[in-house]
Amino acid sequence: MRMLEVPLQIFRYKAGEQPHYDMFTVQVEETAHVIDAIDKAWAIHDHSLTFRRACHHSSCGSCALRINGVEKLPCITLITNVWDGHSPLRLDPLRNFPIVSDLVVDVSGFFQRLLAANMTITRDAESTLPLTVDELADVVPSEAVELPDNLSRFNRFENCIECGICMSACPTMATDDKFLGPAGLAAIYRACQKTDDPDEKAHLLALAGGEHGAWRCHSAFECMEACPQAVDAAGKIMALRREITANRFKRIRRR
Amino acid sequence: MSRPHVIVIGAGSTGAATAHDLALRGLRVTVIERGEVASGTTGRNHCLLHSGGRYCITDQESAIECIDENMILRHIMPDLLELNDGLFVAITEADLAFKERFLEGCAACHIPARDIPVKHAFDMEPFLNPHALAAVQVPDGVFEPFRFCLAFLATARMNGAVVRRYNEVSDVICSGKSVTGVKVNNYLTGKTETLGADLVVNASGPWAGDIAEMAGVKVPVQPTAGVMVTLDCRLCNMVLNRLNKPSDGDIVVPQRATSTIGTTSWKVEDPDLITIPPEHVEKMIIQGEQLLPVVRKIPMRARMAVARPLIVKSDADARTVSRTFECFDHASSGVDGFVTISGGKTTTARVMAERVVDMVCNKLGIAAECRTRDVPLASYRLFFQGGE
Repeated sequence: MRMLEVPLQIFRYKAGEQPHYDMFTVQVEETAHVIDAIDKAWAIHDHSLTFRRACHHSSCGSCALRINGVEKLPCITLITNVWDGHSPLRLDPLRNFPIVSDLVVDVSGFFQRLLAANMTITRDAESTLPLTVDELADVVPSEAVELPDNLSRFNRFENCIECGICMSACPTMATDDKFLGPAGLAAIYRACQKTDDPDEKAHLLALAGGEHGAWRCHSAFECMEACPQAVDAAGKIMALRREITANRFKRIRRR
Repeated sequence: MSRPHVIVIGAGSTGAATAHDLALRGLRVTVIERGEVASGTTGRNHCLLHSGGRYCITDQESAIECIDENMILRHIMPDLLELNDGLFVAITEADLAFKERFLEGCAACHIPARDIPVKHAFDMEPFLNPHALAAVQVPDGVFEPFRFCLAFLATARMNGAVVRRYNEVSDVICSGKSVTGVKVNNYLTGKTETLGADLVVNASGPWAGDIAEMAGVKVPVQPTAGVMVTLDCRLCNMVLNRLNKPSDGDIVVPQRATSTIGTTSWKVEDPDLITIPPEHVEKMIIQGEQLLPVVRKIPMRARMAVARPLIVKSDADARTVSRTFECFDHASSGVDGFVTISGGKTTTARVMAERVVDMVCNKLGIAAECRTRDVPLASYRLFFQGGE
């Protein structure tokens, strides 16, 4: 197996110290993901390098960071897909979160936003296959995987792994730190869809229609672009706006 | 006397469940974890909530632990589980010949198992190998290991436990024949600190031997690595297992929009330096194709490897390894105030914690009943409230 010598330029910060970058060169297999390179830098060079990781297969969402400035999950990002073969691979923590240490950010704000809708991310015990056998035969062998239209029904909040990438990529977050954020609003939208209780729905729509809710979004669609899980938060924010408006009309007509 | 202070080393499933149990029994608890929660063995897990079917012939003690804990976890962490059941599928005549023994094994371990018409299995699982000969349905499920640990730790925190992430134990401190604390490198501050304790629980999984060595004792834990491959498509509704004795690559676990095939098994010296052998990845694909022939056509999303802590039992001539767990009171080796809990599986973390905390309470002279069977866990999302 061919080995790669990968130079890593990693953001370092400890409380009370000046932030800076450290360089580490690590040897990894050609098939390695970025998380494997960070893991090696930590294991061989420096145990004081702090980073988040748990599952190594994009289910926990903990390892999210920026690779050459772009939000990614290093556990599913192949080095060969992001490295040009010679320049250092730059690793930075997520934006729009307080930095705790090195690549570790404080994600409490993200989870706080998800508590509002209290949506679970596990799937119901229903049929959950995304494709039928025939659909799969159509889709898989092609180079560009173009998903059938009816698949969009699966682009929903339950896909979310709570990685925080959408909040990091969102330009609105940078202008309003109380913005409910893409995942938070996608969760509210899904909770609205699932509830049968009109009071609960009114409460959720009021939250989404509030000062830091759906109207704050600049429609930059960065969250949709960056999301590793196809949650389509931007689409959900647009749908929420329609719901909020429709609900207002309903109330006016009732007067 | 003020409440005793117990340090738990490791925030994987065992350490997290142990911290929760200790806090619930009124002890003061500090968890020390060198990385993120579940950043070791637990995180890189197959995510299988075992029904016990996998072990019902080869390791019935484990199988019974699994089904009992499976039922308890459904009650204490309902929001964290995907309960779609599992199928044990016979592909070959040899598998089919195994079916009666399997059903007997399930019955012996009180695992509810249903021999379903294979046509019914094809209806439920359209990608299943069309040559399948038989299928048995069992209450397997799926969990997300990171959140599994967070839920235990969030609850422990509410009951007063302190969780120190990014703190690595550099030494175990002894006074005479007794452990009195640990020395840690706090990587958040760059400082070295000494933490005192009335007792230290070593819940560091495959690293248990390294920690035990700091206290001058040995534990029979063999780090044993395994490879798993995650595909970028959910291919089954239920967990699919090969109806036979456990072997490499005989299980596909669907989790949300992915499918994970596992696993292999080889002994490693250093759990921090595991290289994924490419032939193991290929083996997962070949074996996975037996259950789901479409496997090779699906893009790979991730590959991972991690060491599990297997307990080596030296009571037989041949060294046999069980998937059950064991608590070690190192007082028997002349070091008091120090216990190790290792082996087991994430599915059985709660009962592992119950046993080790029984041992801890007994050593500290505390009479407190375990309540973790009945107390529902707090939302994992609450773990992050309140900072480091």
